[in-house]
Amino acid sequence: MDLVIALTINGLVWGLIVALIALGLSIIFGLLDIINVAHGDFFMVGTVLALVIAGTTGFWIALVLVPLIGLALGLVIERLVIRPTISAASLTIVTTFGLSMILQEAVRATFGAQARRMAAPIPGTVPLFGLEYDVYRLFAAVFAMLCIAAFFLFLSRTRLGTWIRAVRHDRETATALGIPVTRVCAFTFGLGTAMALLGGAIAAPITTVEFRTGVDILPVSFMAVVIGGLGNLKGTVAAAILLAVLEGLISSFADPTLARITSLAVMSGVLLLKPKGLFAGATR
Amino acid sequence: MMASRIKWAGVAVIAAGLACAPLILEQTGNLFWINVIAEIMIWSLLAASVNLLLGYVGLLSFGQALYFGFGMYGVAIGVSHFGLGLWPAFFLGVGAASAMAAISGAVAVRLTWHYFAIITVVFSLIFYFVAMSAKSITGGDDGLSFSTPALWEAAGLSLTDRVTQFYFIYMIVFACFAAFALLVASPLGMRFAAVRDNENRASLIGINVYLTRWIAFVIAGFFAGVGGALFALFGRYASASYMFYHVSGEAVVWSIVGGTGTLLGPFVGTALLILFREVISGIWENYLIAVGALVILVVMFAPRGIVGIFNDLISRRERSKEGREDSEIEPLAQAD
Repeated sequence: MDLVIALTINGLVWGLIVALIALGLSIIFGLLDIINVAHGDFFMVGTVLALVIAGTTGFWIALVLVPLIGLALGLVIERLVIRPTISAASLTIVTTFGLSMILQEAVRATFGAQARRMAAPIPGTVPLFGLEYDVYRLFAAVFAMLCIAAFFLFLSRTRLGTWIRAVRHDRETATALGIPVTRVCAFTFGLGTAMALLGGAIAAPITTVEFRTGVDILPVSFMAVVIGGLGNLKGTVAAAILLAVLEGLISSFADPTLARITSLAVMSGVLLLKPKGLFAGATR
Repeated sequence: MMASRIKWAGVAVIAAGLACAPLILEQTGNLFWINVIAEIMIWSLLAASVNLLLGYVGLLSFGQALYFGFGMYGVAIGVSHFGLGLWPAFFLGVGAASAMAAISGAVAVRLTWHYFAIITVVFSLIFYFVAMSAKSITGGDDGLSFSTPALWEAAGLSLTDRVTQFYFIYMIVFACFAAFALLVASPLGMRFAAVRDNENRASLIGINVYLTRWIAFVIAGFFAGVGGALFALFGRYASASYMFYHVSGEAVVWSIVGGTGTLLGPFVGTALLILFREVISGIWENYLIAVGALVILVVMFAPRGIVGIFNDLISRRERSKEGREDSEIEPLAQAD
């Protein structure tokens, strides 16, 4: 029973982090209409940068710096490689695939191929439902939740956020109303990238840090985006948590591969039966 | 007329060049490159399978490695578990891949574009994880090695001979590309194009859109399966890692870099990127950075691929010739 509880809570924590990453993927997808294959590698860069920066200045500064670096990285990448190939979705798959190769190999060249682990910034455990649970994991869950809330507040309460929603809703009208659509798109890509790197920074102490981790996180984020319904941001969050808890629950009595196969099967079912997502109709 | 003659001359030059390649390389002692070219031909089938769907029916599949994997495992399991000979194992692999494509295609072609891309990658991931966990059958991560059966015992032909193996692969790949060319020029190929260009119009003139897409999907699975079966015979090895979505992604990249919607685009793209990788990897340890940059640069400056540029050049030359006779039309045609 303890194992079931522990793995379910682990699933919940992980689900919140995945939700943050998947939201980044989802706004990029919704606004620029590109399938960003490099998104998982942005997460990976986040974990690596967090480990490196935490080693010199401490983890808390890394947690602030990493998303800012992500924003800058996203803006540069958007300008250099995304904007010139935005004309066709199939081309952006190729450019982001090339980007993914470059990011992975650049990290391998500088950081090394060795998988590393990072010490928890908040040591110790607390009693939770009858078991001793890592304090940092709880912090990670709460922090990810706050970031997600901040993201939704940003979208609904700030001018830039309103612009993003306007461009998502109707690009032509937004242009006619004088919204700088090109710059809004660039910022959205930067924001999505920053969210992936931030997710990486939060996850760094509870996962292995190496150049390959992006390859695993990418399908999971895509699943959350699709099951939640393409373009349905709240659905994405719900789906990410649901999938991670489901995988956690199943892996408490079967091996993790079976858990992964189950969530993939759930996803194909959703795609075929409710292509607009599990929560279509529930929220807008 | 001129343009198509130049294109077919290009095809003939490549086919003849490949046929002579092992003889020349053997003379000059570059035996290693015989295998590199053989591998390029094999992978170009996977790229061709992506191209059939993306370039001719307008469906982006991100899961063609699944059918490549079925072809590969069909051969490996046929030989090592059932003790089959070369051809029965080969047909088992290709048959398994086509059957899998028929089953998953029946479901996948109900969706289009992003949803189609995602369902294909999901299917391939499911079987990737299945292959990873069914270690007793597939060997999982470590893979499944086997010794290759004789090609034709009476004549003493065996794939262990590098040159024999090359021509074996060459013949099958050549046959596949010839079938591909016939297919896209056939009435069925016209139906593919009609569905790609405008699905509504196609269904209004009586084309069954789902059925057409499904047929294309099965044929694409067949090509990928042939590639996988050849790859298993070539490497005497099958591994779940070749079913991962990264392999499918690479095939999409090869196909787009070479030029989708063209016969030889996938081959050119595969050849360029594999040759580039082989050359650069000897010089620079982190060669994948260069490969990634090359891929990005090609689609930036040649969005229709390398063969696409070549075709544009030919038709522009053709047009400028006609333009001399009728210079009024030329700017309009350019603007189009």
